[in-house]
Order: sequence, then structure tokens, then C-alpha cells
Amino acid sequence: MSQDPIPEADLSRRLFLRSAGSVAAGGVLAQGLLGACAAERAEARSASAAPSVAEGPEELAGEIEIELELNGAKQKLKVEPRTTLLAALRERCAPPLTGAKDVCDRGNCGACTVHVDGKPAYACLLLAVDLRGKKIKTIEGIGAPENLSALQAAFCEHDASMCGFCTPGFVMSITACLEQHPGADRATIQRACSGNVCRCGTYPHVFAAALATAQQAKKG
Amino acid sequence: MSSIEPTGAPRQDAKAQDKPRKTRKIKTTKDVNGVPQEIEIEVEDVDGPRWGERKELKLLNTELRRVDGPVKVTGRARFTHDVRLPGMVYARLLCCPYPSAEVEIDVKAALALPGVEAAIVLETKTRFLGQPIAVVAGRTSDHADDALRALKVVYKPLPWAVDRAQALAEGAPNVRKNGNQGKPGQNGDRAEAEAAVAGAAAKLEATYGVPVQHHASLETHGVVVDYTGGEEATVYISTQSTFAAVEQVAELLGLKANQVTCVVEYMGGGFGSKFGLGSEGAAACRVAKELKKPVHLMLRRPDEFVMGGNRSGNRVKYKAGMDKDGALVGLVAEAERFGGLGDGAMARPPYIYSAGKTYSEVVAVYTNTDSSRAMRAPGHPQSSFGMEAVIDELAYQLGLDLLDVRKKNLRDKVYHRQLERVAREIGWFEHPHRTKPGPNSGGKETGIGFGISTWGGGGSGGTECDVQIAGDGSVTVSVGTQDLGTGSRTLVTAIVAEEFGLALGDVVARIGNSRLPSATGSGGSTTTGSLSPAVKDAAWNAREAFSAHLAPLLKTDPALVRFAGGKVFSQANPNVTMTWKQASGTLPNAGLSAHGKWDKDRAAALMGNGVHGAQAAKVEVDTLTGRVRVLAMVGIQDCGLPINRLAVKSQLNGGMIQALSYALFEERVIDPVLGIALNANFEDYKLAGPSEIPEMTALIDDDDPRNAVIGMAEPAVVPGHSAIANAVHNACGARVRDLPLTPDKVLAALGRIA
Repeated sequence: MSQDPIPEADLSRRLFLRSAGSVAAGGVLAQGLLGACAAERAEARSASAAPSVAEGPEELAGEIEIELELNGAKQKLKVEPRTTLLAALRERCAPPLTGAKDVCDRGNCGACTVHVDGKPAYACLLLAVDLRGKKIKTIEGIGAPENLSALQAAFCEHDASMCGFCTPGFVMSITACLEQHPGADRATIQRACSGNVCRCGTYPHVFAAALATAQQAKKG
Repeated sequence: MSSIEPTGAPRQDAKAQDKPRKTRKIKTTKDVNGVPQEIEIEVEDVDGPRWGERKELKLLNTELRRVDGPVKVTGRARFTHDVRLPGMVYARLLCCPYPSAEVEIDVKAALALPGVEAAIVLETKTRFLGQPIAVVAGRTSDHADDALRALKVVYKPLPWAVDRAQALAEGAPNVRKNGNQGKPGQNGDRAEAEAAVAGAAAKLEATYGVPVQHHASLETHGVVVDYTGGEEATVYISTQSTFAAVEQVAELLGLKANQVTCVVEYMGGGFGSKFGLGSEGAAACRVAKELKKPVHLMLRRPDEFVMGGNRSGNRVKYKAGMDKDGALVGLVAEAERFGGLGDGAMARPPYIYSAGKTYSEVVAVYTNTDSSRAMRAPGHPQSSFGMEAVIDELAYQLGLDLLDVRKKNLRDKVYHRQLERVAREIGWFEHPHRTKPGPNSGGKETGIGFGISTWGGGGSGGTECDVQIAGDGSVTVSVGTQDLGTGSRTLVTAIVAEEFGLALGDVVARIGNSRLPSATGSGGSTTTGSLSPAVKDAAWNAREAFSAHLAPLLKTDPALVRFAGGKVFSQANPNVTMTWKQASGTLPNAGLSAHGKWDKDRAAALMGNGVHGAQAAKVEVDTLTGRVRVLAMVGIQDCGLPINRLAVKSQLNGGMIQALSYALFEERVIDPVLGIALNANFEDYKLAGPSEIPEMTALIDDDDPRNAVIGMAEPAVVPGHSAIANAVHNACGARVRDLPLTPDKVLAALGRIA
């Protein structure tokens, strides 16, 4: 890491990184420093309330309005540069999209899995502002209780959901897998959802549901 | 938790079903070629609800799809975590990073930040690592995080003890008022047991330990308190007991219990850790009372790890003796339980086995960590681990077959049947290492291990239920019970649908709300035994009332009215039918409603007590790296009459997978010098994921003759880790006596590292 002064335009990112680091370290870090960090950010926020698009890196600070493409529809929402996609979906969308779950908030469990331009991604590890211009699909865009996707119907058939908290994440990961590999075998499916965790232990039922869907797809 | 828990000795309890069937004759008319004729029909005369013959059942004892599957797989199920209300603020706790400390907190800077709405000091002196010391709230969770960071906290750490060595050290600080050890519980005659061991053909002296484990429910503990200063409050709560928090919420908000509603529509797992409001719920109520705004407070994952509950660890020193035929003749067990500030749990050794002359002594060792809570079969996995290992280690000394030795020490023949079944499924009889472990070859070796379980189950009073039939034929069953993911919503629906010969989709269950008829909390696998009889009672009463209403219309006796396949008819004239909708259409505007409850006498015919389970695991051990891979697990479980066979299999698979995770990965780690939690997150506290899942076989023991329902979620988790540890020993001779079975311990057991 260079010790050079951080350019002004990088201020919000620097603040974001520092605050993200302090979240990870919990209450053990010196609280005085953290307080100073928050105050610094408050200053930055008042200094620049709107995004300015200039040459070079874009400077973003404070609460800004962005447009995201969510499940095929464009939606304007207010976020901060540090707001994760997960927090934006769950707290800042109207209506809130709460299908993606906040379980670990650090990319360990897959419960917040969404699709970004067709690829599975952890919404807790993405910043909402970085997703402008990308196609985001959440579990709410996959099917509805009265109109289930083939995979979702198979989940119901095979009891692949117990408490159901991890289920949207598994559905998202495996949906993306089956879009890529319609006739996927068990090993491919296991690998595709290896970033998802279930505490109830539904895994064998999840695999059975995914395999049944893949076999159905093979038959056409 | 009691100091020593009984092992819930299983018993076959089929009394209600064994009673001779009473019948009576009813005179009625039957149309024969259009001419009414007087006939007599014999009907069973029952004094209360029965499940009926298994072969007659259309829904119960079949594989039912969960009624809430579609809302779960589409992300539409609204968990407490997902509740969003106008004007709601997001709250966070600050948990003390030290095991014991005096704390000074200045909230001024936090309160001055934009978007921050509240910052309240909760504690100034703490007793356990992770104790909440402040609560903050902001317009968004980002703002709540700002507030947390801006709290100015001065910690003055106090002397602590976070592990056994520290708690028992000379001059250790007092964790509890009376010291760092509880009152020992003793059982049996020590001298007699010692003598029996001394005279045995094979002897073993060894210490076994299991670490503190976490429930790690994916939905953390938490609430949304909807209180805006009026005379009503609604609290959405992730709980195993819909009714448990009502009074505490009322007290904290200055309301009466009848002004508070608790709601638990869907909840993301509990496993024993979620009863009552908790300190997080109490903190949320304080914020709501101050702000008069709805408050969302779900624990952050690191906080959940330190203050959301745990399964107590233990350490047991065994002395055991076996005669040359494989019968245990003596056992001395000295156990310590590690439940933090709590007492922990441990089923009394020798657990399910007979061990001849037995002496056991159990004592709690206290530390400055959060109190253990009930966790799926409290005390049983801890006892299972040492006992199953003792049996294998002694059997190997004598060169006996592991399966035969188990049967030799089990009086209850149900276990013999179950063990043989899982042995067959896992390939035991073709396995080369049945009487001695496989070689420490430097290559990969395969081994098999076994374990057994028991649990009480049963049920108790306190659950009531309403069944309503509307004029349009829609049916509603209402009971305040909660569905933890166990499938209770489906169970309730199925019992009512079965009663009326309807499909699952024809009945709607309303559960998870304290305005509904009362229900007991879900703990100890007692939900099935407490809920099912109440629902069955209500359904039976509704059917009796509907039969009485329909009898004149069908020109028959109420005892001859039949409901089947969505139709209603008289047993005398099965060809003359009404549809369910037509029949319901004859009801008055208010429809029909009936009430039922768990009544001791009526429930006795419907629920049972005491279950058995056996499990086997097959593993592959890389003797060069110490890495263990589980290849297969097989479990069999009895549970009387299964309501939903698919849900039973899910529970059994889920239990085995949690045990696999306990065997290989899970362990709370606290640094004794710094006093900090080292793995309070999912990257360092690892749960078994998709890559670790072996071939799973879940079998329901259909040889169980009891036609009564019994909960079985707890026993499913009991023996899997023991079977895996035994399989590792069986594969290559690596006996690891404390979990988890990490590669370093396997290599040390193989003598490949020091």
C-alpha cells in the first residue's frame, strides 16, 4: 500500500473501505477512531450532496439518487456510496425486496445471492452504485407462488426448504447453474451452490430437486 | 437445565390402540332399486378422536408437500427479518468485546450524527463475553452502524475465566457468586463400579470431550417492535414460542398483556435457542418506547455467535470394563459440563447402554461466556460421543464385531432391529474391518461407525384449536403455534383435511399469532405431541357437528355421515353424494366452528412417548493428510405414526447433517489471553456446506406398531458425530477423543505428528 496522500476524488471510497474494515473488526477497534471516521464522513456528505460525473474516477458522497434495473424494471432509489446492493434491496427499494436475506453480510453464506447480468453474485459484497447499468435479478423476479419456475416447483416436490431462510439463495445459485448447464449432474449442482449454507440440512433434498429439474430439461 | 437429565428411556406405549373395538348397530333406510328398505349398519363406537387404520389414511403417513413451500421458494415468506413498517428505524446492539468489564459509554457524538435516532446505554458492568452494553438506532442500518462506531466507550477489563483451565486455576475470579463449579450430581456406587472395571477382561481409561457448539440459525435472534405510542403494540419475533414474550413486552412498554400481539409468521430456525424476548428484544422495546416508532432489531452475525446461545461442551473421564463376550461390566464416568454462565446439559452415562455396575458424577464448570441454551436434544449428543467410543475401543481390544457388541449391551430389541438395518444399508457385512481397525497405510482408508439415540417426545396441555367451515366450503384451522421449519403448518392443515376427506389445499392454517388459540412453545420435540391432539380434537368436534347438521338432509343417522374424496354421503347410500361445497352451502351464514384442545385422556389415544434411532456413517480418511471425508450416512428413526413422511425424512437428514458438521468443523474458540471470540462469523466457524454432503439415506422405522404421533426432531441429531468419529477410528486406527475431527488431530492420533 502506498502512503501517498489519497486524492480528493477517492475520499468516499477511502471512507467506505475504512468503515467496512471497522465493521469486520467489531467493537474491538478503538472507538475514538471510529467516531472520527463517522464525523469525517458526515462532513463529506454535506460537502457534496449530489454525484458529479467528471473525467476520471467518479466522485460520490452523501445520499444520492441512482437508477437500477431490478427484475426488468428501472427503479430510482436513494443510496449512499457505501450502501451494499443487499441493503439497497432490503431497505431502500419501494416496495422493499426482502427475498435476499442478510445472514452473514460478508460473503460466507449465499443467502443474499442475486443475478447480475445473468451471473450469480452475493448482494452483500456489491455496492449498489456499482450496479448502475447492469441487469439485476432477485428471487422476486424468478417466479411467484402461483407461477413457480420448474426448479421452484421441484423444491416444493422434494421438500428442499425447511425453515426457508436460505432457500431464495439456493434457488438463485442453482437457477443460474441450470441456465448455463441445463442437464447438470449432481457434481455440477453441488459445485454451483457450494457458496450457500443451510442450517436445517436440506442439502440432499436441494440436490434431488435440482437433479429432477435438470433431467426434466434433458427430456425437453 | 437440570444437572443430570434422564435419558428418556423409550417405551412402547400402544395401550389406546389395544382396547377392544366397541361397536353398535344403527337402524336406517337404504335405497334398493329405488325402494327404501330398513336395514341395520354396525358402526364403531368411539369415545373420542382416533387416527384410524393406517391403510385408510389418505394424507397422514404419506409424503406431503409443505403448504408453505411456494412462498418460501419464491422469497415471499415474510420473516421477522423482512418486516418493513412506515417510519421504522433499524437498531443495533453494541456487545462487550471482553468477558468481564466495567464500561463507560458516551453517546453524545453518536446522537449528533445525521440519521441516528437513538443511543442508549444498557449496562456498565458485564459478566460475559458479548453481553449487550448499548443499543443504537438509525434511519437505515447504515446509520445504525454509524452510531455504533461513534459511541465513545472506555473499557476497564476485569479478571475473567473463559475456559476450563482459567476457571479451575488457583485464584481464579468468581464467575458465579458461589464459585466456578456447580454442585456435583452423583449416581451409583463408585467402589462397586471401580471393582467391576478392575476385574474385567478388557479395560479402558480415557477422556473424551466435545466443544461448545452454536445453534447458528440462519435468521438471527431479533424482533420488530411496532409501537408508536398508542395503546396497542405488535411484536414480530423470531421465536419458538409465539406466546412467551407477550407479558414481558407489555411490561416494558407499560401496556397490558391484552394490548400486545406477538407474530411469528415464518422463522428462520431456532434449534432450541429462541424462547422469550431476550435481551435484544428488551433493548428494542426500550428504543420503541423512547422513539415511539417501529424498531427493527436483528442481531448481527458476530453478536449472534457470542450472545445467541450455545450447546454446552463437556469433558468426560471414563473408566470402563468389558467381559470377553462383549458385555460391559462396569463404568465410572466423571464429567464436566461447560455451559458458560449456565449449567449445561448432559444425559447420564452410560446413556442408552447397559454397563453393569455404573457410577457417574457430573459437575458444571462456569466461565464468563453466555449461558448455554437448550440445543436440539440437550445433553444427548454430548453423552453419545464418549459412550459410543468406549464401546468400540473395548470391542477392538477383544477383537469383537462392533455391531454384535452394541446389541450385547442393549436390552431394547428395537435397537437390534434398527442397527441391523443401518448396518445392511451402509455395507457393514461386506466391510473388511469389523473387529479391528484398518491400517495406517499412508493412503486413503475407508471405515464405518455406528451410534444410537433416544428421546422422550410426548406432549402436554396448553394447546387449543379452532376449526371453521364457511358457507362457501373454505376451511380454516387456527392455532397460535409456530413453524420453525419443522412443518407444523402443514401438519395442522393435513390433520383437518384428513378428517373431512379433503385435499391439503382445501384447508388454510392460521398460525403464529398470539391472538389465535393458545399453543405451547416448540422445544424437546413436543410440538407434534402437543399440537396434533388439539387439532385432531377440534377437527373431530367439527366433524361431529357437521355430521349432526347433515344427517337430516342425507336422511341418515349422524354416525353414518361420511366425508371422503371431497364428497359427503351416508354410509347406507354411498351413491347418493353431495359435494363438499354443496354440503357447506347448507350451513347458516356464520358457517360452523368447533373448538378443541389437548386433553390428557383424549390425547392419550393420539400421542406417544419415547423413540429409538440408529445411524451409521462411512468415511474415507486420507492417512497422509488427516483429512476426513464422509461418504455416506444412514439413519433410521421410529416415531409412531408419521404425520408427514417427507417432513420426517427432512428432519432425519437435517439432524445427520448437523451432526456431521459438529463432527468435522464446529467449535467455539475464545482466546484465553485476550478474552476475545476468535471465530464469531461464518468464515471461521464453519458449517457443513453442499460440498461436504455425503450420500444420505433416511429411513422411517415402519415396524413401530404405535398408532400415535411422536416428535422425532431431537433424536435425529444425537448419534451422527459419534458414528463419524467411530468410522474414522475404524478406517485407520485414529481415535480422536475430542471433536471436531480436524486433520491435525487425526494425524496426531495416527502418530504422524506430535
